[in-house]
Amino acid sequence: MIWNAILPEAILSVGILTIFILELFLEKKHYKFLSILAFIFVVLSGYSVFFVNYPAKLFFGGFSVDALNLIGKLFILAVTGFILLSSYDYFSKKNSRYGELPYLYLIATLGLMVMISSDNLAIIFTGLELASITMYILVGLFKKEYLSKEGAFKYLVIGTTGTSMYALGSALVYASTGSMVLNPVKTENTLFALGIFLIISAFALKVSAVPFHFWTPDAYEGAPTPTTAYLSTVPKIGMYFLLVKLTISLFSAFPDWKYIVMLIAVLSMFYGNITAYAQKSVKRLLAYSSIAHAGYFLTALTAVDKHLFSALLFYVFVYALATVGAFSILVILEKKEGWTHHFLDFKGLKEENPILASMFALFLFALIGIPPAALFLGKLGIFFGLAKTGMLALGILFAIASLISAGYYLKVIVYMFLYSGEVRHGQVSVSAGEAFTVLGTAFLVVFFGLFPHVVLDFILRAFS
Amino acid sequence: METLLNVAIFLPLVGALFVAVIRSELFAKVASIFIGAVVALISLVLFLNFDFSKQGFQFETYVPWIKTLGIGYHVGVDGMAISLILMTSILFLGAYIWSWKIEDRPSLYFALFLALETACIGVFAALDLFLFYLFWEGMLIPMYFIIGFWGHERKVYAANKFFLYTFFGSLFLLLGIASILVYGYFETGKISFDYFFHLNLDYPLWLELIAFLLFGIGFAVKIPMWPFHTWLPDAHVEAPTAGSVILAGVLLKMGTYGFVRFSLPFFPEASKYYIPLVFTLSVVAVIYAAMMAIAQTHMKRLIAYSSISHMGLVTLGTFAMSGDSLNGAIYLMIAHGLSSAALFLGAGFIYDRIHSYHMDDLGGLARYIPFFTFAFFLAILAGIAFPGFASFVSEFLILLGTFKKFPVWAFIAGIGMVLGAAYSLYMFRKVMLEEESIPEERIEKWKKLKDLELHHAIPFALIIGMALIMGIYPYPFVKIVEHTSKLVFGG
Repeated sequence: MIWNAILPEAILSVGILTIFILELFLEKKHYKFLSILAFIFVVLSGYSVFFVNYPAKLFFGGFSVDALNLIGKLFILAVTGFILLSSYDYFSKKNSRYGELPYLYLIATLGLMVMISSDNLAIIFTGLELASITMYILVGLFKKEYLSKEGAFKYLVIGTTGTSMYALGSALVYASTGSMVLNPVKTENTLFALGIFLIISAFALKVSAVPFHFWTPDAYEGAPTPTTAYLSTVPKIGMYFLLVKLTISLFSAFPDWKYIVMLIAVLSMFYGNITAYAQKSVKRLLAYSSIAHAGYFLTALTAVDKHLFSALLFYVFVYALATVGAFSILVILEKKEGWTHHFLDFKGLKEENPILASMFALFLFALIGIPPAALFLGKLGIFFGLAKTGMLALGILFAIASLISAGYYLKVIVYMFLYSGEVRHGQVSVSAGEAFTVLGTAFLVVFFGLFPHVVLDFILRAFS
Repeated sequence: METLLNVAIFLPLVGALFVAVIRSELFAKVASIFIGAVVALISLVLFLNFDFSKQGFQFETYVPWIKTLGIGYHVGVDGMAISLILMTSILFLGAYIWSWKIEDRPSLYFALFLALETACIGVFAALDLFLFYLFWEGMLIPMYFIIGFWGHERKVYAANKFFLYTFFGSLFLLLGIASILVYGYFETGKISFDYFFHLNLDYPLWLELIAFLLFGIGFAVKIPMWPFHTWLPDAHVEAPTAGSVILAGVLLKMGTYGFVRFSLPFFPEASKYYIPLVFTLSVVAVIYAAMMAIAQTHMKRLIAYSSISHMGLVTLGTFAMSGDSLNGAIYLMIAHGLSSAALFLGAGFIYDRIHSYHMDDLGGLARYIPFFTFAFFLAILAGIAFPGFASFVSEFLILLGTFKKFPVWAFIAGIGMVLGAAYSLYMFRKVMLEEESIPEERIEKWKKLKDLELHHAIPFALIIGMALIMGIYPYPFVKIVEHTSKLVFGG
């Protein structure tokens, strides 16, 4: 048994316990210190990923480590780190210095890391639940605000439905194959098919794809903005790493899985993009954009192909970076007096905060898919993979959907740059952590667009 | 020489960074004009040093960039590219000089134009599909903000329309690139974005037919071919003068450039297969846009429709599958770039002085601003392909080449040229002459008008001068353009 296989998880657990204990003794004013401490543990954990010997199996095969899920852990930790840094000033300004916050983020991250490093449906369930339950709490953090409570409650009810679908699905898979471990078996069994169907539905719910998206806009809008940033990125990275694995070793045993995924994908991207036009709040608009992106990402799960998968994982990562960047701008802006994320608040933002406005425009252009931002490479990669597997028609639908999406992102840019505002919200101070997050994500989004091989090569190698 | 080409591509971008950071009005203007002049000089040197007796691309630079994806920094020029780069750099220089008096956020204005220049020259020099796409999309954001910030009343609408239409085209271009990459991957087992890699592949007909359409939509939006043309009149009407000049002079040429550079050599069979489709769209564009132009009372809108009409002629010549017509088409890209730029300068000058583009508000100007009238008349002549101007040589070549194989199409397209003369001269008459029919107080106003200033005269001189040289002594230009058509038709 090679114990260093769980090094990243172990460090993170130590971090969680440390912060948990410190939080009992420290006063509220040390909240910032705890956040930074959490960030340090994330960095340590991320650094330790490089020292893990792989491939390895632990706990009677329940926990496995390979190149792919190590990359996944690194991505998850990187994005978590950015979010932790951008969160502390926001919660201090909102008078919500809850010392539990930093370690709740870490617990959710730990859950996702466990989830992606298992081949066993039961252990995947454990990781998934650890992450989900923590996130219900995170969403409902503003306990005095109605929206936050409403979002948390919806998320809880619908999320639990998803979890039970997953539980039932894996039970059915176990009933038909006699094993909880993922291994490719060709089965033409109705029970098995139903199991797969339930599992796909459960994950469609978790990645907020249509028709299981109803929790998304409310949970995203109600949650404190750093948590929204977390919800829309970190779990998504984990889910797609897991989905890639499940597609290879479980879904593909049921040949018609691709039609279900295709249907969900097409519905999500069109529903998300068209409904986004009706939104008045930019935060809610980004929620719909994440539904649409779920659709884009799911198109890549319709075939087993290493190019398609590596493009997908790259795309998810850079999407997460751009989204964290965009939400961090919202985090900063929300500290202003009377800021509501309504479009009218963004009117003439370039006069008040030219740098914030230009950075936000950069992230929005990145989300549209304009080079040199890396998201365009994700799109190109998925187009390539779809053409390779003979599904160019799906690629054309993807192209049309992302054209539709360009309109509402541009709307935000138009409000910020081309209109001048009447309402003044005044200047806002940007904390060091927020500045680091915004500049860091912006730099990485452009850097990975020009030098994608820094990441892409590792992913490609992990598949072959 | 190779380094000079790279300098020409990236010097404006570096300049843009400095101009944006330093934020001094005078520095922005002087630096832009200086950089514009240096780039124009470099393109001229490259143009003169271009050896058109040699086959293939010249001044090539190749640096491996992303090895696993077969992407390299690969630039180089052939006859078409170097002449377009020369035209581009001259138009940009003209645009910088023209904008000498701009007052609204000058640093940002010049920074965006400089960034745009890098993207434009880069598109014409890129020999790698990835690099090409980067530059191709790179021009989108600067142009969006140029229209959005410095445009007229409906600028937001026009900027968004421009962005969405162009982005629509680019996505299909991206799909097209992905589909030929996949074929290359299946054939050779590696992914490569290199131009020559794809040039040497023989695609099966079904793939050619699909990929031609995907690339074609991308290019057609930019040209713009009928029925994707509706963004152009709006973008032109709302854009500031220098923006219109670059839009008409350079950006529209990217589409036709793409057809000649990529569609024809990559998909020769599909190009033949789609001749009827392309011809129909082109001829519809030539005639329909000319008719639309006759109906306009807004100067810029009229010139915009005339651009669509002329670009129809370019696509017609491109797909007529003869050396002469292709030469003419490439020549017309340059000639029309110059003539439409000069016309937009004229319209912009009138707007600067009188604050109206509407022909009903104008008239009888000729007596009061004689130098401008002279320059504007030359621009009109260049636009209607008057002998002695570059357009004449090119349109003659296109019709000659097309007539050999497709006499009926050539005849219909010829009608478009007559209509072209009609609406251009109509505009000149309404704006410059007809002093009898205008009210007295307007004449009083005209008397106070100031004629061309130096920063107006130099761009006019540069642009019309080049059109004249290309019209009177076309030999070296035709030779250099022929370099490309030989490359395309392999003879």
